[in-house]
Amino acid sequence: MSRRSAIAFAAPAVIFLLVFFIYPIVRTVQMSLTDFTGVGDATFIGGENYERIFTRTDYLEALWITIRFTFVVVVVQTLAGLVMAALLYRLPAIRNFSRAALFTPAMMSFVVVGYVWQFIYSPFSGGLNALLRSVGLDFLAQGWLGNPDIALYAIAIAHVWMFTGYTTAIFLAGYAAISPEIDEAARIDGASSWQRFRFMELPLLSRSFTINIILSTIGTLKTFELPFIMTRGGPDGATQTLSLEIIYQLFRNFDFGFASALSAVMLVVIVVIAMLQNWYLRKREDAV
Amino acid sequence: MSITRTSLVVMAAATALVTAGCTSSDGTSDGGSGPVTIEVSAWKGNDVEPAGLPELIEKFEAENPDVAVELTYIGRGDTDVVLPPRLQGGNPPDVMMTDMALVDQWSSQGLLVDLGTDSEWYERIPDPLQGILTTGDAAYIMPLEVIGMGNFVNTDLLAEAGVEAAPQTIDELKDACVALSDAGINPMIFTGGFSAALTVIANGLESSSDAAGDLGSGAATFVENSSFNDTVDLIGELSDAQCFDASAQAGLDPWSTALTEFQAGNFAMMPQGAWNIAAFDQVDGLNYEFTPIPGASAPGVALDLFGFGWSIAEASAHQEAARAFVDFFADPENLQVLLDAESAYSPFEDAASGTPELTAAYDSARADGAIIAYPFATLEWPKPLEQEIWDSLTAYLLEPSSSGELLERWDTSVADAN
Amino acid sequence: MNRRRNRVGRVLANGGVLVVVAIMLLPVLYMLTMSLRTPTDIAQAPLGLPLDPAWENYARALPAMNYAQAILNSVIITVAVAALTALLGSMAAFPIVMRAGWWTRIMIMVVALGMATPNFVVITPIYVIFRDLGLLNTYPGIILAYAALNLPLAIFFYIGFMSTIPRELLESARLDRCNDWQVFWRIVRPLLGPATATLSLFVMLFVWNDLTYPLLLLTDPAKQTVTISVYRFVGNQNVLPDQLFPAAVLGSLPLLVLFLIFQRRIVAGVTAGAGK
Repeated sequence: MSRRSAIAFAAPAVIFLLVFFIYPIVRTVQMSLTDFTGVGDATFIGGENYERIFTRTDYLEALWITIRFTFVVVVVQTLAGLVMAALLYRLPAIRNFSRAALFTPAMMSFVVVGYVWQFIYSPFSGGLNALLRSVGLDFLAQGWLGNPDIALYAIAIAHVWMFTGYTTAIFLAGYAAISPEIDEAARIDGASSWQRFRFMELPLLSRSFTINIILSTIGTLKTFELPFIMTRGGPDGATQTLSLEIIYQLFRNFDFGFASALSAVMLVVIVVIAMLQNWYLRKREDAV
Repeated sequence: MSITRTSLVVMAAATALVTAGCTSSDGTSDGGSGPVTIEVSAWKGNDVEPAGLPELIEKFEAENPDVAVELTYIGRGDTDVVLPPRLQGGNPPDVMMTDMALVDQWSSQGLLVDLGTDSEWYERIPDPLQGILTTGDAAYIMPLEVIGMGNFVNTDLLAEAGVEAAPQTIDELKDACVALSDAGINPMIFTGGFSAALTVIANGLESSSDAAGDLGSGAATFVENSSFNDTVDLIGELSDAQCFDASAQAGLDPWSTALTEFQAGNFAMMPQGAWNIAAFDQVDGLNYEFTPIPGASAPGVALDLFGFGWSIAEASAHQEAARAFVDFFADPENLQVLLDAESAYSPFEDAASGTPELTAAYDSARADGAIIAYPFATLEWPKPLEQEIWDSLTAYLLEPSSSGELLERWDTSVADAN
Repeated sequence: MNRRRNRVGRVLANGGVLVVVAIMLLPVLYMLTMSLRTPTDIAQAPLGLPLDPAWENYARALPAMNYAQAILNSVIITVAVAALTALLGSMAAFPIVMRAGWWTRIMIMVVALGMATPNFVVITPIYVIFRDLGLLNTYPGIILAYAALNLPLAIFFYIGFMSTIPRELLESARLDRCNDWQVFWRIVRPLLGPATATLSLFVMLFVWNDLTYPLLLLTDPAKQTVTISVYRFVGNQNVLPDQLFPAAVLGSLPLLVLFLIFQRRIVAGVTAGAGK
């Protein structure tokens, strides 16, 4: 492929990326060095905003919460999606129906999912506690979102519930690319279902793994909607993720400059994590 | 040095090269002839909280046939997201619903029109509120309502527990709690996020020797304020009186699940805002009153919130029409429609109100002057402190600490904000 | 004998997976039943069924939402965004896969940066650009914005997918004197069906459920999307179940129907891609 046609192919996308991402990001970095409040003029204040981030525990705490939340979501979601896809690949009769059914939660917006699960988790009349009491597990019933040790994981469950259908669909798309001949050959060789999964499908799915893990990692790192709706970052900051912190700085304190600095830090964190993941997952792919 | 301004100029120049001339985005020109359309943004006027706006707009258009009004609903939370870029881009709605937090931020940047202190309606704003609404010597907002924040009381449940009247003082509240919980009824909703905060702020300010403004500016500290220390200790006393199960309260959301619980008759009391009355009235079989927040002495505290008003954008091309729209609402007859829909009080001296019978106790406390203005709505306390109070009270409900430890957090938040 | 055991096993496996799927659907069922109940009823019997369905919840919600118009708007925007994103994304991924080099690394980093950028950070600059180009309150404007937001994802998606296409296939096409465009259009594009179908889903969900952009870039009520109409109806101050749940159901329902249609296309794409 010639250099010229490579440029021609990529040009439209590059223009889009420049206008909608690069330029705004440059502006964000610019803003992070000022005391901009969202309207009017901004005064240059140098690295003050960054100093505030790294000399306070609150913001590093928010980062740590974000990373914990993301880790739980990505691991659980990827495994759940993989298991479902592997099962559905073997069960063509219910494959399409189940894929559609699993996808249903993702049909709802974050706002709706947040509120529905908030009602489910509610301590007094919530669906989950009512369910536990009705099967005699009263001792488990509690205010799921009111306990700082549990709230973050309760939200993570709602998040995983929402997106397991996504991961399943991506894995199934990966499965679709596995040619039936290979599968047939493995069967004729007498490989058991588990062996086929472990030694043939897993390696062939490594691409889907990469896509799934990177997508859900980045998506989850950025997310703010569920904690925003379900707990507003509470109880006492236990679910205050970095993006929620940014939203509050922007729209509650009107501190655009500081919020931009936080965004810049967040951007670096996300990119570093994504690059590490990418490097590792590629290495795995190549090893296959 | 103005980064924003220069980059705007650069952007404009660059795009001018591309588009050979910029067009104004709405495409309407204000030639002065023919009808004009003004855009009005508000966090009222949708189906859940209409606030009488649809009918008032209809009436306004009938009286001003050359003006058409387009109402854009933007929730209060989203106002902060949606309007700054539009203001920054020179394309805001002509008239915007604002509150003091927004006025403070936007007026200092010259984005709002000074409505003047010489207008007919400005004269009619009572003194304390006039001081709050005036920025320097300019008035950027025409107030629409003052709304009560008090204690919702389920009269059926109180009667069931043999409690004669809604509690007005803290002592009566404790007695009521004991009676209610003995009768197997959950006495009150006390979410750290809002309900507990209202109770603590009302009681703290009621007996405070420091002015609210001094506490919010850092001139006085919460830690050294005996009234607030006592009020924090009060939480433990209420908990001991069986008013609430402290840790369960942390899992209730004051804006959704808590409201559902009160509507269903699962709790006897709930400190909240009068804006809930419209929705509660829709519930069959819910008999309730709206009373002042129980305080050190009867009749308790009427915690008044200056809700919102209209502001006109400096960038509006239809200043005259916008002004006519704003002034239209200052007419008591028109404002009454909004007050009725909102169950709110007039911000003007005529003391009109749109409150129903069931707020009689709150109304009379106001008439007695037992009013405390919610310090966040008046900007006496900095906005970040509000969240800190909610967070710290939630933490306190989960795990009580000393009052000094809790108030220390408030002071830190004030110091950060100033 | 063995065969019968196999059959029983198969039925059990199918049944087991269906049970799991049913459990996953419980919250959706919860939403549906809640939408037909009054708040009082809910708090008194949290898990009760709507024996006396409160249809008035829907009677209140439906007329208030300007429903049909909003759905039409959502569909128009979604289809356009999906098509544009798929085209630009696959075109950009093609040279990245074919000609790996230092510049592809930069490109991938830019794409990753784009994916990592939270929306609210870029809103103000985008608004100013749109104002200057006269794109505010227009369909082309919102379509361009959404296409841009989904582009990084699309590029990643297609890079992943194209890497699985055997190089020999493309090389042999070159020997057949196809130019790059013809290779892309005649050989690569038809293979991308499944990827495009899945991508379209992402796009659809993003466009359908996003609140911020239509709120900012479309001020004309006649152009608003379904999510906005849900949102305008529910508001965000006092969220009550008899308003929230019906609106939520109405907001999700058309997506479900659309999804079933897309579902067929995905299956068709999968079989076409796998049958080669």
